[in-house]
Amino acid sequence: MADEQMRPGTIEEHVDSRKDDRLDADALAAIEEAELEAPDPAEFGLQVEVPKGDLAIRAQNLGVRYNLNFTKKTKLRTTFATLLDPRRRNKGHFWALRNVDLEVRRGEAVGIIGPNGSGKSTILLALAGILQPSEGVVEVNGHVSTLLSLNAGFDQELTGRENIALAGALMGIDHDVMEEITPGIVSFANIGAFINAPMKTYSSGMRARVGFSIATAVDPDILLLDEVLGTGDNKFKKKSKERIANVLKSAKAVVMVTHDMSWITSFCTRAILLDKGRIVADGDPADIVEMHGADAELRKTQKRQAKRLMRHGKVAPTDVNKALKSGTLGAFIEGNEDALQEIDDEKAERRAVLEEKRARRQARLAEEAADGAEAGTSGEDTSSASTTGDGGADGADESERTQTVA
Amino acid sequence: MAVINEAPAAFRSSNDRPGPVGLIRSAFTDVWSRRRLIGYMVHADVKKRGVDTVLGNVWWVLDPLITMLIYVLVMTVIFQRSTPDFPLFLLSAMVPFKWFTATVGSSTSAVTGKEGLIKQILFPKLILPVTLSLSQVVSFLFGLLVLVFVWFFAYHDHVTINIIWVPLIAFVQFFFVLGFTFILSSVTVFYRDVGIVIGHFMRLLFWVSPILWSFMEVAGRGKRLQTGLAGIEESFGLPSGLLFGILSYNPISILVETYRKVIYGHLDSIVVIDEAGNVKDELIWTSATPPDFQMLAVIFASGLVFIVIGVLIFKRLEPAFAKVL
Repeated sequence: MADEQMRPGTIEEHVDSRKDDRLDADALAAIEEAELEAPDPAEFGLQVEVPKGDLAIRAQNLGVRYNLNFTKKTKLRTTFATLLDPRRRNKGHFWALRNVDLEVRRGEAVGIIGPNGSGKSTILLALAGILQPSEGVVEVNGHVSTLLSLNAGFDQELTGRENIALAGALMGIDHDVMEEITPGIVSFANIGAFINAPMKTYSSGMRARVGFSIATAVDPDILLLDEVLGTGDNKFKKKSKERIANVLKSAKAVVMVTHDMSWITSFCTRAILLDKGRIVADGDPADIVEMHGADAELRKTQKRQAKRLMRHGKVAPTDVNKALKSGTLGAFIEGNEDALQEIDDEKAERRAVLEEKRARRQARLAEEAADGAEAGTSGEDTSSASTTGDGGADGADESERTQTVA
Repeated sequence: MAVINEAPAAFRSSNDRPGPVGLIRSAFTDVWSRRRLIGYMVHADVKKRGVDTVLGNVWWVLDPLITMLIYVLVMTVIFQRSTPDFPLFLLSAMVPFKWFTATVGSSTSAVTGKEGLIKQILFPKLILPVTLSLSQVVSFLFGLLVLVFVWFFAYHDHVTINIIWVPLIAFVQFFFVLGFTFILSSVTVFYRDVGIVIGHFMRLLFWVSPILWSFMEVAGRGKRLQTGLAGIEESFGLPSGLLFGILSYNPISILVETYRKVIYGHLDSIVVIDEAGNVKDELIWTSATPPDFQMLAVIFASGLVFIVIGVLIFKRLEPAFAKVL
């Protein structure tokens, strides 16, 4: 997680901010239209069965722990080594989520935001029941529909239509009902003849369209979405926003994870800020988004400071990496406050030295100019001027040359 | 509209951690309530196999035929085996054995191959090995088709009513292997090495099981094997008859021999004195007989035990799949 944070940071942030601008306009248009056009859910037969306000999700003291001894790369050899040597035991655990208390009511749309690796996706996996909590309880009251990845577990060899049937069966939806809603899914995805072609021929946008159509068409009580909203072209984005708005209107619970803040501010009734697997803030979307922005700003500053420390050789890059990995960069920077101060001091000192040099030079130049005016020559001075090498040199050269010409 | 009926109750709590009996019960309801999903997945699996070959599903028929021809060629031309009607002798054991190795061999990827699905949707993972076992049954049925075709049209002499016992033996074999697929598919998630080990084990099993030879030959391979193994037992100080017992009472050997018994018949040896007065053994076959039902019942019962063990292992490991994959 640390590496992700470190490397692509700046570039991604640029792209993101541009996307946000564009989407904001979109979102506004979509909301306006949704308000004007969105039909009454009852017209669709989407009856509001549950009175608004019922508890849909409750997580108490939720914790998800990954055992670092047991990952994909476990080898029999390392297992035996672990058995034989107790010191190698317990490479440790990693708590992706800890002490999370969360209650979501029907009709609420909760947006989860936070930096990379803060546990956003893990919380959705735990709510969906795909990950079993290592600690605490997750209770879900209602049928859950999930769209957690763009591939959505599709079978690449099967056609879109077959995948729709398969997804329905996986979610446990009746065959008759599936027959009934399949035309709607197909027309909403709107991928033309591709619906009867194997999924491996699809573009990623097409796959996302089909996935989104299925997840929202099955009329779930609880909809869990992970970073899948900003897909497709603008037209599809608009359509999917309308769809989400409808789901909300029929008093269903929605939990979404996204980096697209326009979704949070325009659709969510509540937002949660996660950091290092804990809930940092929970409240009004606009406030939380602002807080997240401030957080991101702080993190950027911290990273800039860390880089500065490394550049000046005050700290070892490995220590910085370690701090990044353990998420203690803030404390790390604080611990090296003195070093930062030193860098600042050195810089100020250097600047002072430079200033002094420049002042001295200027004084000398003025003196020479006075001499030159008398003698009419100043040949060897050009070389001595360039060795000082600070900003004032050019100006000095210039004045010398004019002097020479004169 | 109430949409979701097949899925279990709408209320879900992570506090439900059932004990052994609960696990077995939930395993049963998992599979039974999702039988339509299993149907879809078997269909998809079957459809996918052979989709990227020119001959497609024709291979399902060609495959057992070509395998048979290769072994017939090797055994009759190079090793000069004199077993009467060797092609049928071989095919009647080879087809069920291939079913067994294909099921066990692919069970190691039943769960690991569905990583995307497991991380996307909540569903009972137990249906994955069940799906795999069933889709292998489809391949077996095609092999059986070839076998019955050869049996009926090329070996009239062997045709008896005892062929009707084949479905029963297949049924027993299916349940016997199912438990193993549960164990292997779940353990491989944690130790991928299992897949490689299983591959080699299957190859060993092919040679020590009566596919190319038979225990039934009274004076033939069976007898020779027994004396050969007795020599090994003696030099290692093992109780006499142990190795032969392991080989001949291994359930796969019994199943394979049972198929052969009801399709091909028995092998016997008779003493023949030729015109020159030389005495020699000659193999003959006697026609098919019904299977040993008692033995089948024992295998079926042990299969049920393995299923219970397999379900318990699988269900205990299931919650960790999404984390480890």
